[in-house]
Amino acid sequence: MVAVQNGILGSARLSLAVSAGKLAGHTGRLLRVGGGTSLPGMVARALDPDVLRKMVGSTRARKLVVTGSNGKTTTCRMIAALAGAAGQRVFQNRTGSNLIQGITSVAVNGATIGGRLDTDLLIFETDEATMRLAVPEVKPDAIVVTNIFRDQLDRFGELYSVAASLEAMIGELPAESSAILNADDPLIASFAPEAKARRIYFGVRSEQVGAAVPEHAADTIRCVRCQHDLEYRKVYISHLGAYRCPNCGYERPPIDVAVTHAELSGTASTVELETPAGPLRLHLPLPGLHNIYNAAAAVAAAVGLGLDLSEAAAALADLRPAFGRLEEITAGERNVVLGFVKNPISYNTTLRTVLTRPGRKHVLAAHSNTVVDGEDFAWLWDVDLEELTPQLASLVVSGTKAEEVAMRFKYAGVDEPSIQVVPDRPAALEAALQNVESGGTLYILSGYTPTHELRRAMVQRGWVAPFWEE
Amino acid sequence: MAQPPLRIGHLYAEEMNIYGDRGNILTLSKRAGWRGIDVRVEPIGRGPSPDLAEYDLLFWGGGQDRDQELVFADANEHKLASIKEAVAQGSVVLAVCGGYQLLGAYYVTAERQRLPGLGLVDLHTEPGARRNIGNVLIDVPGLGLEPPTLVGFENHSGRTYLGANVEPLGRVVKGAGNNGKDGTEGVRAGNIFGTYLHGSLLPKNPHFADLLILRALARRAPTELAPLDMSVELDAHQALVRRLTG
Repeated sequence: MVAVQNGILGSARLSLAVSAGKLAGHTGRLLRVGGGTSLPGMVARALDPDVLRKMVGSTRARKLVVTGSNGKTTTCRMIAALAGAAGQRVFQNRTGSNLIQGITSVAVNGATIGGRLDTDLLIFETDEATMRLAVPEVKPDAIVVTNIFRDQLDRFGELYSVAASLEAMIGELPAESSAILNADDPLIASFAPEAKARRIYFGVRSEQVGAAVPEHAADTIRCVRCQHDLEYRKVYISHLGAYRCPNCGYERPPIDVAVTHAELSGTASTVELETPAGPLRLHLPLPGLHNIYNAAAAVAAAVGLGLDLSEAAAALADLRPAFGRLEEITAGERNVVLGFVKNPISYNTTLRTVLTRPGRKHVLAAHSNTVVDGEDFAWLWDVDLEELTPQLASLVVSGTKAEEVAMRFKYAGVDEPSIQVVPDRPAALEAALQNVESGGTLYILSGYTPTHELRRAMVQRGWVAPFWEE
Repeated sequence: MAQPPLRIGHLYAEEMNIYGDRGNILTLSKRAGWRGIDVRVEPIGRGPSPDLAEYDLLFWGGGQDRDQELVFADANEHKLASIKEAVAQGSVVLAVCGGYQLLGAYYVTAERQRLPGLGLVDLHTEPGARRNIGNVLIDVPGLGLEPPTLVGFENHSGRTYLGANVEPLGRVVKGAGNNGKDGTEGVRAGNIFGTYLHGSLLPKNPHFADLLILRALARRAPTELAPLDMSVELDAHQALVRRLTG
């Protein structure tokens, strides 16, 4: 009976799970409730908890898992673009639905009704806390770790426990797989020195960018081996940089995929990279040093997968920002820049990019305390909102945590009566747009759930496509 | 007569800053500054200590276990005598989360490592099986706070136990507090205050911030604080109270 169940009944069950998952996705899209991201996986797993393991286990496609605090979604999109340009067929969770349901949806959406995955590459963006569920099921050929910053400590526990579990997974990768690691992150660079997997380090070695001293929100500034303060020759973002421990000599490892030259503008960058496959010059239509890191991680992943990089420049040149990553939206006579922010580093990075733009800024800032957004907003106090205050033209705060956001801006020096508190998201969007002159720009800085809600309000106005149609 | 400046010493600002402790310092500085009081905040790192009795208020926050190990060792080696002198001279101490654990006799980490504390207050901290994570509401009678409540967010695996003659900062209404068992949260001993509440603590508890400022200033000369509009802060406070009791 057991054998039969694993045979005919097992495959019937898989087929049922995949069909039901696909149907749920279609229905969700028809009803415009946003079905393509996590619903198919959720339905399929309910009918067959082994659905992902079975599909992924029987495919010839290679599997890549991308995790880390920041940059996962954009890095995944860049890897997909590079793979596509190299002639690979790719399935991925494009919209950042990175818990186990969203990861299962990648396979469900891409599979035939029988549960067969006929493709070349599966890219799974995976939340750090979901890694321990996803990695045993997916058995990846490569793991990319972008960076580790403080991110929703109420969900993940402490930084070092997140790091320890990631390190253990890297340590268990088989010899024919690759670990793509950020050399500039002292914690990640130290991972699993005895690992059997091929290790590919990416990082920045450019003199044009970066600063001399770590910023105050830096997380790991002491040596991971001996706890002595690290010395930085160059700091790029938070604790990412060229470091060395004066006490034990631990230092940034040699970089395999290195950014050697970087020129940034407010909306784009041009970078030169050294790679084991030769030099690359890329134009990235996305702003900020963080996107340069994402590109370096993506190229390193492509190197790990042995992809042909001859079309890499063309593949990345027409990349659009991922959902809510400073996404530019035309809202009738006005413009909206939608910035999804989730921790001090992503907020500060987004803020600095916004501040490079000319003129005073109309801002809508929104946070909510749902399960995915977290309850703990202590981190808002580590964001350098003081730098935005002198450049504010108007401010609307929204979300279920609107009062808390208002309070943060008050202590950042914004005159209290000038803060418009509008908890309802569509009403806040309306109010904020009314502050903006024709031809002007509204900057939205918001957490996960409000970003979705505000974007949905703009979808309903016909200003932007639903994200699952991208 | 010109108001003397309020001097705040932020101990271990680099090492113990993981839970948005900057919000506490910002709240103290702004609320004093809005009243025309000159504020000086000075970070104090590891190594030989300046004269801490020069400071009207000493603050230290929470860190990760790895960071706490360093800080506990440094505090005992370099800061203990100076902190004791400051306390004797009436300086206010606010210690949050990991910093709170440092006030006691010892802290046993999740890895069962025993870190000797400063022993300023009769309390100690043992490891717990799981982390206490979530919103907290406590009743704080006897300090003249209006409303007589504090709200915050806790995230700690340590279980803190108070000695028999030690007074908690408050009584838990919602959340775990010191150890999840005896209904106590934090500690108060004269001008020393310890608590697990962050999130950050002071922005959402402006009345408590003012109490600390008042006591810190009173060390130098009898003082009154001009009232400030704190409707935004108290809205945030009350919104959380309603959610936790509703």
